[in-house]
Amino acid sequence: MSMKFPGMAGALSVLALLWSTHLSAAGLESRPAQVAPAFLAKDLAGQSHTLADYRGKVVLLNFWASWCPPCRREMPSMERLRLKMAGRPLVILALDSVEPVEDVQAFLTTMKLGFPILLDPDGENTRRWKVYALPTTFLLDKAGRIRHVLKGGAEWDEGEALEAIEGLLQEVAAGGS
Amino acid sequence: MKKKRVKQIGVLCAAWLAAWVHAAVPDYQVDSAQGPRLLLWVSSERGRTEPEAVAAKKLARQGVTVWSLDVPGAFFLPQLPSSMDQASPGEVAEWLVAALDTGKQLTVYAVGRAAVPVLRAAALLDAGQRGRMCVLLMYPNLYQSAEALADADYLDTGRLDGLAIRVLQPRRSAATPWLPAQLAHLSALGARVTPVMLENVREGYWARETPTAFEIEQAGQMDKLLMQELESCR
Repeated sequence: MSMKFPGMAGALSVLALLWSTHLSAAGLESRPAQVAPAFLAKDLAGQSHTLADYRGKVVLLNFWASWCPPCRREMPSMERLRLKMAGRPLVILALDSVEPVEDVQAFLTTMKLGFPILLDPDGENTRRWKVYALPTTFLLDKAGRIRHVLKGGAEWDEGEALEAIEGLLQEVAAGGS
Repeated sequence: MKKKRVKQIGVLCAAWLAAWVHAAVPDYQVDSAQGPRLLLWVSSERGRTEPEAVAAKKLARQGVTVWSLDVPGAFFLPQLPSSMDQASPGEVAEWLVAALDTGKQLTVYAVGRAAVPVLRAAALLDAGQRGRMCVLLMYPNLYQSAEALADADYLDTGRLDGLAIRVLQPRRSAATPWLPAQLAHLSALGARVTPVMLENVREGYWARETPTAFEIEQAGQMDKLLMQELESCR
């Protein structure tokens, strides 16, 4: 086996890493409208949530975990989005994937968030939605269909992400199905 | 604009520093010892890290011979999962055979995507050779594709009949809910698979940018974890 040029390999690896980082920030993947998998989760107060509860509204459904740095990084932008969209038909749901509730509660003492934090302690929703990376976020239209998917973090209150949300909100304003 | 430029220069400097640090850790390393065990350590696609090199030396002091390989560095490839897939299974198989020929009790430890070249190489061996070794897979990434809302596809590794595998899975990982599926996949290939859950740590916990106090402690005890696994792996 060739074992030469370790320094150059390292430098190239860094360039590749920078390139891959650039790509990972490339943005939302728009998809043809797709029926959402079943979703049922409880929040920290024990109240159940399903997507049917939010029919007629745009839903941002975020799969996250408190140990995941990019998940933590994007949370403040989701809170800013909530405040910016107050009074408009947008719902933000953050589903914590397979963590003890104590870890979630500990995280929430460090960050004030006004949207529902839901729990998926046994990973049932995570598996049903086939989420393999965290964070992963889905944007659903007023009919509860999946329209956009993002693997990785984002600044949700600006740029491409905000445009996609505004697009779905306009569909709500336009009426029809 | 000026701030942005300064930030870009900072990022590039950090990148070159990281490359220099990486270059300081050899692509291939042998830590010799007199004991009956031989550990082949294949680092992840991110390359070999200093804590891993330290753990290898600690194991050698406890009598375990360690041959360490950093595939992207050795094959002059970028530090990406796809680079691991390009490693020649034949060459890795030759390495495994050379290790078996030492007569020592052989364990292979592969991190992340390194599971792919190791399993492909193991599949090239005959059943007798596979039966004389044991494989530890630390958070193995065997996916060809894993896109949200779709079933994951696994890379083809070939049959692994009779191969003893222990999957070491950090609890704090997006892969944790998928562990049963991964175990089923490996079992279907003929391997004898045992899961080992590593509590309160994340993938690559020994080299995280912002490690928890517990991860730092565990990183310093990687040799103990591996020694325990060497003893359990049959």
